[in-house]
Formats: sequence, structure tokens, C-alpha cells
Amino acid sequence: MIESILKLIIQIMITLLIAPLFTGVIRKMKAKVQHRVGASVFQPYFDLTKLFKKDLVVSGTASWIYNLAPYVYFITALAAMCCLPVVYGLTGFSFYTDLLVVVYLFVGGRIFMALAALDTGSTFGGMGSSREMLVSALVEPALFIVIITISARTEIASTNIADIYKYMAVNTGTAFTPMNILLFASTLLILIAETSRIPVDDPATHLELTMVHEAMILEYSGRHLAFIELGTYIKQLVFMTIMANILIPAGFDNSNFILGFGIYLLKLLVITVLVGLVELNTVKFRLYSIPNFAVIALVISILGFFTGFILR
Amino acid sequence: MYHNMLNLLSILMLISAFSLIANKRQNSYISTFRFQSALLAGISLLVSVRAMIVTKAFDEVLIMFMLIVVFKVVVIPRYMKSTAERVEYKVEKDFFINIPMSMIICCGLVVLSWYVIYNIDGITDLDTKNYLIYSFSVVLLGLFFMISRKKAIGQIIGFLVIENGMFLAAMLTTEGMPMIVELGLFFDLLTAFIIMGIFVFKINSTFESIDINKLKNLKG
Amino acid sequence: MNSAFLAIPAIIAGLVWTNKNKTVIHFTNLAGAAALLITSVLALAEVGRSKNIVTRGFFKDIFYIDSLSAYILFITALAFFLVSMYSISYFGEELRKKVITLSKLKLYYSLSNAFVFSMVLALTTQNMGVMWIAIEATTLASAFLVGFYNNKSSIEAAWKYLIICSVGIAFALLGIILLYYSSTIGLGSNKLLGLSWNYLLENASALDSSILKISFIFILIGFGTKVGFSPMHTWLPDAHSQAPSPVSSLLSGVLLNTAMYGIIRVMSIVNKSLHSSKYTGNLLLLLGLLSIGTAAVFVLVQQDYKRILAYSSIEHMGIIAIGLGICTPVSIFAALYHTFNHAMTKSMLFISTGNVYLKYHTKKISGVKGLVKTMPVTGIAFLLGSFAITGMPPFGVFMSEFNTVAAALFSRNYLTAALLLIFLAAVFGGFVKQMGKMFYGSNNMTELQTGELDKTGPFVLIILLCITIMLGVYIPEPIKALMDNATNIILGIGGK
Repeated sequence: MIESILKLIIQIMITLLIAPLFTGVIRKMKAKVQHRVGASVFQPYFDLTKLFKKDLVVSGTASWIYNLAPYVYFITALAAMCCLPVVYGLTGFSFYTDLLVVVYLFVGGRIFMALAALDTGSTFGGMGSSREMLVSALVEPALFIVIITISARTEIASTNIADIYKYMAVNTGTAFTPMNILLFASTLLILIAETSRIPVDDPATHLELTMVHEAMILEYSGRHLAFIELGTYIKQLVFMTIMANILIPAGFDNSNFILGFGIYLLKLLVITVLVGLVELNTVKFRLYSIPNFAVIALVISILGFFTGFILR
Repeated sequence: MYHNMLNLLSILMLISAFSLIANKRQNSYISTFRFQSALLAGISLLVSVRAMIVTKAFDEVLIMFMLIVVFKVVVIPRYMKSTAERVEYKVEKDFFINIPMSMIICCGLVVLSWYVIYNIDGITDLDTKNYLIYSFSVVLLGLFFMISRKKAIGQIIGFLVIENGMFLAAMLTTEGMPMIVELGLFFDLLTAFIIMGIFVFKINSTFESIDINKLKNLKG
Repeated sequence: MNSAFLAIPAIIAGLVWTNKNKTVIHFTNLAGAAALLITSVLALAEVGRSKNIVTRGFFKDIFYIDSLSAYILFITALAFFLVSMYSISYFGEELRKKVITLSKLKLYYSLSNAFVFSMVLALTTQNMGVMWIAIEATTLASAFLVGFYNNKSSIEAAWKYLIICSVGIAFALLGIILLYYSSTIGLGSNKLLGLSWNYLLENASALDSSILKISFIFILIGFGTKVGFSPMHTWLPDAHSQAPSPVSSLLSGVLLNTAMYGIIRVMSIVNKSLHSSKYTGNLLLLLGLLSIGTAAVFVLVQQDYKRILAYSSIEHMGIIAIGLGICTPVSIFAALYHTFNHAMTKSMLFISTGNVYLKYHTKKISGVKGLVKTMPVTGIAFLLGSFAITGMPPFGVFMSEFNTVAAALFSRNYLTAALLLIFLAAVFGGFVKQMGKMFYGSNNMTELQTGELDKTGPFVLIILLCITIMLGVYIPEPIKALMDNATNIILGIGGK
């Protein structure tokens, strides 16, 4: 019991420590390509500390949902992260973890955010939450097919992460099977859509015609905003961890903690670079083109499903 | 490991064919095609290097690698770009079927090719079966791309993608056809591409557009 | 021998560019065609003596001629010779009317020689890969010939031809890759030899039949596009109707046979490997009947006489496919015989349409009246040719169609025979209804002069008419022996 609580604490600390880093890396990468110096890789950390120091401004018409939502959003993301294995032998909630739980935790956080955005009655909030829900609904089928395929690969067809985890421990050599690669590609697209990155959403602009996620959190400030931002970073980390540890399990079965952690970080960096490359090579889609994007993710995941079942 | 790498590259070729179908602009067709050709070049390099390591002798596929790099990655995309710039661009919407629908159709095509290849009992090697499925899917996707686009340039790109699928199949199932045949194939298809390019200019000057939809005088 | 076959058209294709005098250009090409014809006759004699012609040295595994290839080579050379002779008349007239320039004429001769070169390459090689390359090259060489006049409809036809044939034939390449794969796993990797149909036919039993089956489907679809089988035929009427008439007769009389030759070679390998002709036979029967049915329907609605002839080509390729599909000695003999008959008769018809077009300047049936009175020789050749191509006795086409139907009945393919007869009757009816309007009556157009354009055109037509009638009543003994040999090769009995 003590041991698992200790593990939980370690995992939470790791999560909080590394989550904002990757957004910084993507920003730096974009800046370099555009021949700018760009902010430091650690800029997201500075932003977060600054936001935590600032005062809150809360609308007079806001109800308790508005005040609660950032915490729910943050906590659900953190809980989702604790479900996942980071390094061999380290899982926060080792007693019960399930991939579907991860998805539902995200849905819970998202519902609170959407409600909170509606709560203040501003026009942007409503627009943002409706768009955010649209995007999430569009990529949901692809996400579920990915999860089904991953779980169906284990012998007892379980979505329990512990089972998947056991399966991985003996099958780390199968890192580049066609199924893994297809699911990886699909999850990359899902990650882009879910964490509001270009081409689905542009986190850097506040243009009323294009913004999705930013419109939803436009009213927030100070500590609340910091929690939301941190929640988004963690969410990004969750998807990256799924990609790094479940879809490409190469190098995962390393009993040396430091080495395992190094490999994990390296894989995360590779994924970050991939996301950055996608961002650099595309322009933001119109809202009506997002279904096309989601369909690509869906089709690739279906292909992964087929190859996974037929060619194993 | 070797087969893992080949699997990875050929899957990426399939994905690039999908993203080609999801594309809407001429220029992005061309750059996607270039990406796909680069993957093909990677595969040919891998195949030839491995053959050279195994047999300790010069492998002919290396020549194919150079040809692919020179023509498919550099020359053809550049020629396509200049063609695309020189002909008039008037077609607003370039496809007959909307993108989500065509993606789903393409998914069906992949399943079809899986079904066809998987039911050949004679192919016992699982990897070969895989490669055939990918290359056959790339061919079918290229064909679908040709059908679904209105512009002559889109049809040429579709043809080139079909060609890539062919080379993929030839390289991965038989580790390269005989050299004379393969060289003949390459230059044949190159000539086909050049002639198509010339016809694009002819169509542009006689029909004042490269919209293939306007080519419907002959019927029945 | 092989090098002569390939060298002649290649040299002529270059040589026509060196001269400025149009007469010299005409006769350079004619001399080349005559030399090709003589070489093919020599090849026939050689094949008659020693069954096959092999090449030594570096190209040992590439070139090989047996009775079947020599036979189709002979048809090619003969048709090309006659068409070359006619080209003097046709393009001479076009030059006089300033429709084309001298450099266009050179382009025509150069490309038509390249076209013949690629077909000869396809026929003399024994390597399936080289054959594929050559058949794709025929498309490339003839695309500009189809789009020769550079107007809207001819460019459209050429574009369709180029795209549909290139894509279709890509499937044949997939089939050939599968064939090569089956040869590498069945017989070990022996590079060039592994693609030779001769070698594969010898070792057919070592090949995996399930791979061969799928490979045959791909090759049938691929080369079938080039042959003009029904669902893939859409390029054919356009290309045949828009090309200049000499090119149309080359396309219809020679190109389709060359593509069919590719199918025949693979068919005999697959048949031998499966020990039965049921699989390939059923596919060929299906495609053949579909093609004839399509032609029978579409002939009725055409307004362009060259398009009607194009649909008739689809029909005749269907008949040849049925002959091959039944796969008894009689039916295969009939199919080979039909190849010759169709090539000659269709060349005659397209050459007649060339004369008609030069006279009336229209391809519409409604624009042509009183043909027999206006142009006696062309009119009569066209009329008799139309009867010949629809299968009236005493012409050769009748004999081969009769044999095909008889073979179908003997092999108990009653449904095939019945459908074939119904479709043939429908095509005949369509021809009479459509073409009948052109020949009789007198034309009301006073500006049209009565009489032929020159003497060369009618001369070629008379030669072709003689050949067509002769084939109906008598096959020369050496040719018959050759066809028997070829039949045995296709059946997988003789050959060596």
C-alpha cells in the first residue's frame, strides 16, 4: 500500500515536471524554422508560475461551475496520466486502470469546461464549447477503434492497462508491426485534434472566427487559467505516453529506472518533433474541413484494426 | 528488423497515398508525390544494401535507387510544378466525391485488396503477402485518385502513384525484376509521363482549361 | 533475323527526317515496309523449316520466334506494307490540300515506324517483361498519331487513349510481377529466364496455380484494355474514329492482335499449369460475349461510320476471345484464322473510309450518299467489306466465324453458340441499317466530282479485296501448316 502511494506520488511529480516541456519544444522548433530566436524551451513553466501569482477576475454572473471547472479539468487529466505506465514497473493507479477510463476522464473534464464556458453567458464561450464538442465528437470514433485494436491484441481481449502492459512486456520486439505504425499515425492525428493544435485549432491566436479551445477559456484568468493550461499540457502528455509506451513498446522492458526513463523521454521528444513537423507543414483548416481530418484519422485506425487482426 | 523497416516504409507509402486523396491543392499533390517517391527510394536503398550485404556483390537495385532519386524525387516533381504554373488554373473544386466519402471508399479498396491477396494460397510468406497488400492498395488508391479528380494534372499524379505502387510490388515481392526489364519499365513510364505532360499543354491550348470535364465531345 | 525485324523500322523512323522531298520520304517508308514484309516471309520459311528461331549471345533469353509469333508478325508486316502504300495516297492528298505540312508527314512516318517497331518487339520477344514494355510503348508511339490533327476531338481521343491504356496496362504489369514471383518461388531465381514464357510454359507444372490464376486475371484486364474488351473498351471507338484513316487501320488491324497475343501466351501457361482450360476459358468467354453484346448494341446508335467500324473491331476481338476460350483445336484454329481475316478486312474498310473522308469531308453517315456512284472502286470495296466483316460468305470472316460457332457447338457450349449467333445477327442488322444509307442513291451535292482521287488508293483496296475473298475459299498450304503449328503451341502440345 505504502509502495503504491509512493509510486503514485513519483508519477504525479514526473508528470507535473515534464508536461509543459513539450509545448515549449514545439514553439522553439517553429521559431527556429521561421528564423526567429524564439522563447526558451522552458517558457511554459515561466508562464505558469506567472499565472499562479496573478489575481483572479471572476464574472459576477458566474456560478460554482465556473469556479470548479478548472480544477476538475486539471484533476481528470492528472488522473488519466496516473493510469498509464511511464517506466517499467511504475504505474500510479496500479490497482485498477483501464484505457476506457482514460477516455472517460477526458470526457468528464471536457464537459465541465464546456458548461463553464456557457456559464458566464458570453458569446465566445458558447461558440467555443460547441466547436470543442464537435471536434471531440469527430475524433472519438477513431480513438475508440484505436483502443479496441490495442486491447484486442492482448490474448484475453481486455482494455485493462495492466493486461496490455503484461502483453507488452513479452512482446516489445513487435514495435514496428504494420498495426502499430498505423495506430501510431492515427493517434498522432487524434492528439493534434484533442490538444487543439494546428491544423485543427491554433493555440496562438485569438481570432474569433477560428479559435476553438481558446474561445472556451477566454474568460479565465490567474490561477484558474494556469490549471487549465497545465491540464492541457498533461492531456498532451497522456496521448504521447499512449503512443510512446503502448503503440511503440520498443525499449520499454528496461528494468533500469534511469535508462527506461531516458528512453521514454527520447520517444516523447520524437513524437513532439513529429507534431511540430505537422504544424509546420500545414495551415489551419476551416472549421468545415475538420471532418476531413477526422476521417483520415478514422480510416487509418480502421486500417490498423484490419491489419492487426488479419496479419497477427 | 529488416522486415520491420520495410513494413514501416511501405505503410508510410500507403498513408501518403491516403493523404494524397485527402489533399485539395495541386501543389500539395506534387509534394505528397515527392514524399512518396522518397519513401520508395528508401525502400529500394534498403533492399539493395541488404542484397549486397548478403551476396557481397553489386546489386542492380542500387541503380533503380539512383534513378528513382534523380527522376521521381527531383526531376518529375519539378517539371510538374512548372507545368502546373504554366497552365491556367480555373477549376474551383477539383473532386467529384467529397473527401470523407472518398476516404471511406479508399478504405474499402484496401480491404478489397487485402481480401484478394489474402485468398491466394500460393503465397506462403506472410511478409510478402503484407507487401503485396500495400502495393496493390497503393495502385488502387492511385486509380481512385485519377477517377476522382477533374484536372489533367491530378490524373498524371494518379498515374505516377500507380507506377510507384508497381515498383513497390516488384521490389518487395521479387527483390527486383531483371535489370533490363526494370530499366525498360522505368524509361517507358518516364516517356509516358512526358507525353502526358505535352498533352496537358495541348489540352490547355485547345480547350483553354485543363478541366477534363470539358472533354466530352465523344460519346457512345 | 530478329535484329533485322527490329532494325528496319528503327532505321526508317530516323531516316524519314533526313530528307526534304516528299516523294523520297514516301518511298523510303514504303521500302522499309517492303523489307519488313520480306523479312517476315523469310521468318515464316525459317519457322516452317526448323519450328523456331532462336538468338544467340546476350539476347538469348530475350528473343525467340515460333510459329505463333511468326504468324502474327506476318499479319503485322503485311498490313503495315499495305497501309504504307495507302499512306502515299492519303497523306499526298492531305499535303496537296495543305491540311498538313511536310514536317507533319515526317512525324507521321517516324511515329508509325516507331509504332511498328514496338509491336514487332512485343512479338519477337519471349520475355514477358519486355513484352509489357513493348505494348506500353505502342500506346506511347500511337498517342500522337491518334491526336494527329490537333483539334478538340482528336486531342480528347488521344488523352483518353493514353490515360485508359496506360492505367489498364499497369494492371498487366502487376500480373506479370505475380507471374515472376510464382516463377521465383517455384523455379528459383534465375533473373531474365524466369520471365520467359517459353521457359515458364515448359515448367508450368512447377508454378503455383493460385498465384497464376490471379495473375491471369490481372493480365487479362491489362492487355484486355488494349485489346478493347467490353468494360474497358471506351478508348477504342474514340481513338479509331479520330485518328487518320491509315492509323485507324493499323490500330484496328494490328495493335489489337498484338495485345491479344500477350493474353494468348499467358493463357497457355495457365492452362498447362491448371491442366484444364476451364478457368481461362470461362473468363475469356465472358469477356468475349460481353464485348460482342456491347458492340451489337452500340453499332445501332452511331452516327459516324468510323465509329461503327471501331465497334465492329470490339466485336471481332470478342469472337477471337470466344475461339480462344473454347480452347479446342478447331476453335483455336478458327481464332487464329479470324485474326488474319479481321486484320485484312478491317484494314480494307478503314482505308475505304479514308477515301470517303477525303472526298466528302465528313465522318457523319448522313453526310454521305450515293457512294457507289461517286467513287466506284472505293464504294464497292466498302460495300463488299461491310458484308465481309459482318460474316457473309464467301469471305474469310464467314469461314472463321462459322468455325468458331461450330467449335462452340461441338464442345457443348450451346449457350455461348446461341448468344454468339444472336449478337452476330444483331450486328449484321445494325450494319445494314446504318451503312446501307451511304452506298446507294445519288448524291445531291453538285460540287462533288465523280471519280476516285488517285490510282494508289483503289489499287490497295483491290489487293485487299482479293486477299479477303481468297481467304474465304482457300488457305495456302504453308500458312495452314503454320496455323496448325501455332494451334498446337497454344494448346501446349507442340512447338519445340
